[in-house]
Amino acid sequence: MPVWLREHSWHQSLGAVYLSLPLRGARATAANIFCSERYLKVSIPPFLFEAILYAPIDDTNSTAKIGNGSIFFTLYKKEPAMWDSLTLANADKEKLQYLRENAVLKAHEKAKEETEAKKIAKQEHKKYALEATMKVEEAERKRIEDLKEKERQKVAKELELWKNQQKDGDKYKSIHKKGELPQEIEPSKERKSEKMNKTRIPNEGTSKNRFKSTKGHGSCSIFSQNLKEEHLPAPRAAATIKVNFTPRVFPTALRESRVAEEEEWLHKQAEARRIINSDLSELEDLKEEEKNPDWLKDKGNKMFAMGDYLGAVNAYNLAVRLNNKLPLLYLNRAACHLKLRNLHKAIEDSSKALELLTPPVPDNEKARVKAHVRRGTAFCQLELYTEGLQDYEAALKIDPRNKNIEKDAEKIRHLIQGTMQSS
Amino acid sequence: AAAGAERPQVVSHVQQALSYTVFDCKWVPRSARLLCLGSAARGTGLVQLYELRGARLELLREIEKPKPIKCGTFGATSLQQRYLATGDFDGNLNIWNLEAPEIPVYSVKGHKEIINSIDGVGGLGIGEGAPEIVTGSRDGTVKVWDPRQNDTPVANMEPVQGESKRDCWTVAFGNAYNQEERVVCAGYDNGDIKLFDLKTMSLRWETNIKNGVCSVEFDRKDINMNKLVATSLEGKFHVFDMRTQHPTKGFASVSEKAQKSTIWQVRHLPQNRDIFMTSGGSGSLHLWKYEYPAQRSKKDSEGSEMGVAGSVSLLQNVTLSTQPISSLDWSPDKKGLCVCGAFDQTVRVLIVTKLNKI
Repeated sequence: MPVWLREHSWHQSLGAVYLSLPLRGARATAANIFCSERYLKVSIPPFLFEAILYAPIDDTNSTAKIGNGSIFFTLYKKEPAMWDSLTLANADKEKLQYLRENAVLKAHEKAKEETEAKKIAKQEHKKYALEATMKVEEAERKRIEDLKEKERQKVAKELELWKNQQKDGDKYKSIHKKGELPQEIEPSKERKSEKMNKTRIPNEGTSKNRFKSTKGHGSCSIFSQNLKEEHLPAPRAAATIKVNFTPRVFPTALRESRVAEEEEWLHKQAEARRIINSDLSELEDLKEEEKNPDWLKDKGNKMFAMGDYLGAVNAYNLAVRLNNKLPLLYLNRAACHLKLRNLHKAIEDSSKALELLTPPVPDNEKARVKAHVRRGTAFCQLELYTEGLQDYEAALKIDPRNKNIEKDAEKIRHLIQGTMQSS
Repeated sequence: AAAGAERPQVVSHVQQALSYTVFDCKWVPRSARLLCLGSAARGTGLVQLYELRGARLELLREIEKPKPIKCGTFGATSLQQRYLATGDFDGNLNIWNLEAPEIPVYSVKGHKEIINSIDGVGGLGIGEGAPEIVTGSRDGTVKVWDPRQNDTPVANMEPVQGESKRDCWTVAFGNAYNQEERVVCAGYDNGDIKLFDLKTMSLRWETNIKNGVCSVEFDRKDINMNKLVATSLEGKFHVFDMRTQHPTKGFASVSEKAQKSTIWQVRHLPQNRDIFMTSGGSGSLHLWKYEYPAQRSKKDSEGSEMGVAGSVSLLQNVTLSTQPISSLDWSPDKKGLCVCGAFDQTVRVLIVTKLNKI
């Protein structure tokens, strides 16, 4: 049960009611006071004071001063009249209840309205701020534009002035300009002083005032022309200078080259040459030169040229055992196998060669073409014409200008069509 | 760095849309007129002469030639005559009198393929010695011509027998400070830069900057060689200090990577040899200033002199177009006035302000 505060005192004037409510030691804040048009409540647990006011008051303007252990209310009456008493005397419970609820509702509504109003006010402020900044920025931009315009106009005017100077100078031909020479020379001298050779100034002075190339040369200019010609040396004796250009491994411009791939290829080649797969035990029988894969490759090539295919294969085999990363060994061995009609081995070797010839760069084009052609031939001889054609077409892609490959590819196509028709 | 308000500004004065591809644009000396050289859609060459009038360019004359024209120069002509030397797509070098352009004053089929670049020296009151024209072509040769000698060049720089040729993309004269001295610098598509001495008829220096060389220019043609700027693909350019040549290391250089795209042209300001403008494949122009080092040369460990390169600072940059700006020319008469032609078939006249304050 709350403790009712009853020791209040009040007095009134025509327009306002002054109510003083002593708090028995309790501390009051604004939150403890609830006031609406006809209902006033102060609730500081456990204390409670409420009053149904005699007549409506203007609760927005009324004030409450908290201090000195009491609250002092200044309530402005809605209608200036003298109240008989502060509160309604005969207030039954229901009316009290109803009034209380009403008051609460009204307070809620007021609160809502206030928040609404605040929101709207805030938006207005934001809009205003935005407009203000936009205006400021516009002003700034305009200022810069104006500066630029002024600059432009100034410069255009200067240009016009300069042009008119030129035009005026134009009017004076050679015969008349002797008088003007001193003035004309001064500004032009200043302009070109660092570059002019001193001895040539008299000549230049006369020729400089020729603003338009006309056929009418005055007397002075002819002389200046002649003088000038005397100074000119004869045409140079003809000679040729031979030049060399900086070599590049790949002749494309830096940004066009596929530098990364090309570097990779070069690297791979370098690596390959360095590998020595050594089976030392067996190799001890060999002579020094026979341990060198390149020497063995050459030997193999020679034997191939002479027709000794088996010997060539042996040479290549040994070379491969020493260094199995050189694509050319496999390529050449494939050629031997083709001649020996070891077609499957030929295919194997060509494939291995192609594997080693990655990445595909212009440098290893020829080798790749050969590998494809050899493999294609092997396939065709095994009557696997479609695979063969594939290889021939790959070869053509790398080297589209090779007529032999084209012819052979055509032949294979005909063969395929022939077999398809007959089967 | 200069404060924002004090930096040179590039003001676009006039823009002119053209109905053909413009490859080169040049000011006519001593006038407010400029020439545009290019190739019309039907495969013929066009020379158009414009005059700057107020805020527009007025077409004064249009000359059509059978072959598209790639480049032109006034460098070897006298101020009275102002004959234009052009190189075209067919390898012909012609010198035209613009008042009577039907028949060329001088004509020779100098090269087997397109003349990519042309330069002239000895004319316009700049430099000493005989007027000469140098052309660099896709056939790998660089030839120097004297307009008084028909048909044969006075110097021919060609690849050694059996050497595969590289396109020459750019040529420039330099060191023409007296009657005998003259050098030609040539840049090639594989990054080679070669310096030919015409007095001794020999190769004086060569180097390779890895990317194709689009443009070379000496800061002045008519003085003892001072600086050479070479621009290349992939946004790099090199400034070589040409005063001191080391026996093995050649010339000292500083390089700068400016734009992500090719730098098509470099042109030095005629009135200040330490300021130059580069034009890029992204349609932008950059204005640079070179600062000399405290000491331009020093001795290396063996006691031979070697040059010290300075530094380059960016003064201003501006993007004018989405297409490459392939040609650029400063007016020799008005400081800061320049014309540039781009592959969007537009020629623009620009004014660079505040150059006096640099």
